[in-house]
Amino acid sequence: MALLGAHCGANSSSLRNLATKRSAPQLCRAAPAPTVPNETALPAGGPGAKYAAGQCTKVPVKNIRNFSIIAHIDHGKSTLADQLLLKTNTVAERDMVEQFMDSNDIERERGITIKLNSARMRYTDSQGELYALNLIDTPGHVDFAYEVSRSLAACEGALLVVDASQGVEAQTLANVWLALENDLEVIPVLNKIDLPGADPDRVISEIEDIIGLDCTDILKVSAKVGLGIDDVLEAIVKRVPPPKNTVDKPLRALIYDSYYDAYRGVICQFRVVDGSVSRGDRILMMNTGKEHIVDEIGVLAPNKVTVDTLYCGEVGYMAAQIKSVKDARVGDTITLSKNQAQEPLPGYVEVQPMVYCGLFPTDSNQYQDLRVALDKLQLNDAALRFEPEISTAMGFGFRCGFLGLLHMEIVQERLEREYNLQLITTAPTVIYKCVTADGQELMINSPADLPEPQKRRSMAEPYVRLEMVTPTDYVGNLIELATSRRGEYQEMRYLTENRTTLVFDIPLAEVVTDYFDVLKSRSKGYASMEYQMIGFRENDLVKLEIKINGEPADALSVITHRDNSYKLGKQLVSKLKELIPRQMFKVPIQACIGVKVIASEQIAPYRKDVTAKCYGGDISRKKKLLSKQAEGKKRMKALGRVEVPQEAFMAVLNLDND
Amino acid sequence: MQVAQHSMLKPSSWFRSLQPTTKLCTPSVSNLDRGSKRGGRGLVTLGRQPEVPAANHLSNLTLECPPSTLQQQQQQQQQQPTSAYLHLPFCKRKCFYCDFPVEAVGMKTEAQRVQQRMQDYVKLLCKEIKAMQPLNDAPLKTVYFGGGTPSLVPPDLMARILDTLHHHLRIEPQAEVTLEADPGTFDAPRLRAYMDLGINRISMGVQSFDEGLLKACGRPHDLREVYRAIEAVHASTIPSWSLDIISGLPRLSMDSWRHTLQEAIHAQPSHVSVYDLQVEEGTPFARWFSPGSAPLPDDDNTATMYAAASATLQDAGYEHYEVSNYARPGHRSQHNQVYWRCLPCYGFGLGAASYVEGRRFSRPASMPKYKQWVEDFASPDSKSRGVPGLSQPPDSQEERMLDAVMLRLRTADGLDMRSFASEYGADAARRALTALEPHFQDGLVLAVHEGRAPTGPTNLGSLHDQLVNARGVRLADPDGFLLSNHIISDVFAALSALE
Repeated sequence: MALLGAHCGANSSSLRNLATKRSAPQLCRAAPAPTVPNETALPAGGPGAKYAAGQCTKVPVKNIRNFSIIAHIDHGKSTLADQLLLKTNTVAERDMVEQFMDSNDIERERGITIKLNSARMRYTDSQGELYALNLIDTPGHVDFAYEVSRSLAACEGALLVVDASQGVEAQTLANVWLALENDLEVIPVLNKIDLPGADPDRVISEIEDIIGLDCTDILKVSAKVGLGIDDVLEAIVKRVPPPKNTVDKPLRALIYDSYYDAYRGVICQFRVVDGSVSRGDRILMMNTGKEHIVDEIGVLAPNKVTVDTLYCGEVGYMAAQIKSVKDARVGDTITLSKNQAQEPLPGYVEVQPMVYCGLFPTDSNQYQDLRVALDKLQLNDAALRFEPEISTAMGFGFRCGFLGLLHMEIVQERLEREYNLQLITTAPTVIYKCVTADGQELMINSPADLPEPQKRRSMAEPYVRLEMVTPTDYVGNLIELATSRRGEYQEMRYLTENRTTLVFDIPLAEVVTDYFDVLKSRSKGYASMEYQMIGFRENDLVKLEIKINGEPADALSVITHRDNSYKLGKQLVSKLKELIPRQMFKVPIQACIGVKVIASEQIAPYRKDVTAKCYGGDISRKKKLLSKQAEGKKRMKALGRVEVPQEAFMAVLNLDND
Repeated sequence: MQVAQHSMLKPSSWFRSLQPTTKLCTPSVSNLDRGSKRGGRGLVTLGRQPEVPAANHLSNLTLECPPSTLQQQQQQQQQQPTSAYLHLPFCKRKCFYCDFPVEAVGMKTEAQRVQQRMQDYVKLLCKEIKAMQPLNDAPLKTVYFGGGTPSLVPPDLMARILDTLHHHLRIEPQAEVTLEADPGTFDAPRLRAYMDLGINRISMGVQSFDEGLLKACGRPHDLREVYRAIEAVHASTIPSWSLDIISGLPRLSMDSWRHTLQEAIHAQPSHVSVYDLQVEEGTPFARWFSPGSAPLPDDDNTATMYAAASATLQDAGYEHYEVSNYARPGHRSQHNQVYWRCLPCYGFGLGAASYVEGRRFSRPASMPKYKQWVEDFASPDSKSRGVPGLSQPPDSQEERMLDAVMLRLRTADGLDMRSFASEYGADAARRALTALEPHFQDGLVLAVHEGRAPTGPTNLGSLHDQLVNARGVRLADPDGFLLSNHIISDVFAALSALE
């Protein structure tokens, strides 16, 4: 507490200042200090070389430890990371921003990590040996499962941080499985042991039972008060294996993160797996085939410190005048153009957006601004897709593809905050696969693009494996929830006496709506969930169209399972009946599949306004009322002759499934 | 004309001293220099143009001032107020639906304390009148005492107000002078006393001919007093009088409404106002009821009541000349038409709104604040220079245009599109008509012609042409009137898109 005390109360402006300071091109360029006797025998910048007054001191491969931290939200990942930075004097206390690793406002507010940050730390162990510890951060959300897997692939070990009072959560599980798949040494750490609610024995048995980790030497810490941090550092050195020394092989470096910097183009963060890479090298991205010349390499300590060369086992960053993150994708392998590796590193996947929504500016004049903003975000976000979309209800906007709901929210929030755009977001939908009568396979992200029923041979939708970890009391509720959302029961595992994992295969479409919120409310907030894609599956999917006064309301069309369509159709029309103001004529509202009307309602015509007099010549109130009404009308979207308030579209698009 | 028992009252000097001559009163305030120079133009306003050959007359004027100035002056001329509204806030008690500035004085209105309050208020009101810079060359043509219950103010105090008004702004002998009067506050002699002061029109708030509803509204009178008041009005032989009723009251049934309409007609008023109840924020009704739901009649029922009122009253010979107003021929409210024609009007008293020098201004609605405002307004170093609201800019062209749309479309005369176009531009006129076109098609808007009845859509030519070729437009009765907000706000939306 005392360590962070001075900064805990730091206001947001100082947070921002520091964040800016870090991201600014602040270089500590220093000549390597010739301190090691035999230096001439060493390759430039090899073990013993010092950069930035020793902030980065090179060590032999055997003294490098690459690790990440796996934890559920709020279990203390960032706080622990901060403590490690402090204890190793990587960051001075006076420069400490609470939760240093989460650098943008959205991350700090949500307590999750979106963009990765790495930190190289100098650590001298109890025997006086100098080590370089590389903490590689992982994004904390399922939307970024691929990025997580690549970050873990860059490590040899991982700290599994579990809240001593909360226990193991679904998200933790998924990431631990990923770590074990990548052969990482997983070191369990119990955090928050100082809290009154801590129940270390129960949580230890959970970790042993569920994950099967040996907890004999479990570390007990309180990251918040700085308790047990030395033990953590010692354990990293002792238990995490060093990287293999393959310095003689051709270069293979794994990109685990890349982001766009307005001054230097894309900055890649990478782990050198084989060989070495130096400033001035001509490099080749093995999967995308792009070539670049490295004009800067360095390490993050955690400020950028430029170095001459990075050797196998080391973690660093490079700038190579790369124009867009699309050309330096996460998971790609960097090799040298002149001395190419035979095979790229395994595990590269080009991520496919799975969730789509429409983004429309509230003010149609902001359309161009929105395009520019999306272009800029895309420079930094290879997973973001967008294409123009025109809707009678919403006007001009973009159909955007995201990895998942959180990714969508983040993009939306950045557009609103960083680009000052006012946006309307339509309900998220998933991507569908449609095989046409002539055998063509189409990926459909908007109901409008769906071919007519007679031109379709089959329709398939993405499925996920959903794991819900819940106190046993809520198992019934959650089974009911998953089943009502077309989930197929797979298995149930009793983690401990009172905690259970439920596994379902379920259409992603059912999960991307309000599933998480309902899960939380049906478990009084105790359950957590995690899912991963398991592929597409054919289903009886139909396009449900809404007609208002006979006019199709394209913004309200949805693709849905036939079994859901009747209920959904009924909900949609009755909601619209509530929301569309009475018009001066009768307005039928219908839900249709093809030409078949499956649900309908009618709005009775409306006959009268308030006719109040303008008393005593005071017309101002009446005029205000009419002007307000007129303003409202300008925001109305006319559908044929029916004026529909935009709010009605929004409310319908946010229709919940309960 | 005179009634002996009231002769001890101080007679209203303006009414007695003024013979119906053509002699004009020139403005007494010299700081209105343009006023004194333009004495002759008052004639035009009064329709008493000197008999100078037209051409000669024009050339004279043209010689005197360049055409642009002439035009300007004519505009200013049009903007001179010749009407005044005066607010008398006293009521026995405040009705449950009322949100006007009212001072409840209790049922014992003759009590010394109450009379003192009225005297103090009238003093304040007269102070405000005297502080007003006279802006009219011609004497006032309409004066309206609204409230509150102005008939609670005794004739001697009314005389004081009218004298002050006449001395300061002049009142035309034939001016329409209206007094709002509630049942239970007057008898025939009292009415005649008011008439001696020049009051020649009564507007009586009856609201309902259903005893239960009068109670439910918190009216300070019962049905018996209503009938007595009607008798008193007839006995007074006042030349013009209006009767107010309210539709849409809680638990009002269609039968009860028909009865109220019949009784209203039976009373033979020269004018009827039918107001649809509006539940105003901050009133007891707002606490008890929500609009459109029981016990208030629903919208469909109140729409039916409105239509029934319109049909019944027109059958009985009343012209439906404004959304809420009906008149026998020659008995339209001259004063209220000033508002609907967007003409300027003086306003005096608690919460009163004035429209002078292009500025709409509402006085404070709380007594202490109003008092303070009058003190400031009347003080010699006041920045207002005798014109309320002078610190604000005058209403813009656009504001005036919206006023015209909103107010004119409330009337049966409708909006004259030719003068609208010449005043606000052809583009604005075109937009307004385009916004009205779908309503024309639906029969909610009619085309108004010169010398013949308004028409709905026909097969002759496009709808647009039919509207463009008409002299003007009006809302259809009753369906268009019922949807006036909707239709007018459509025009507002179309016009505000001009920017």
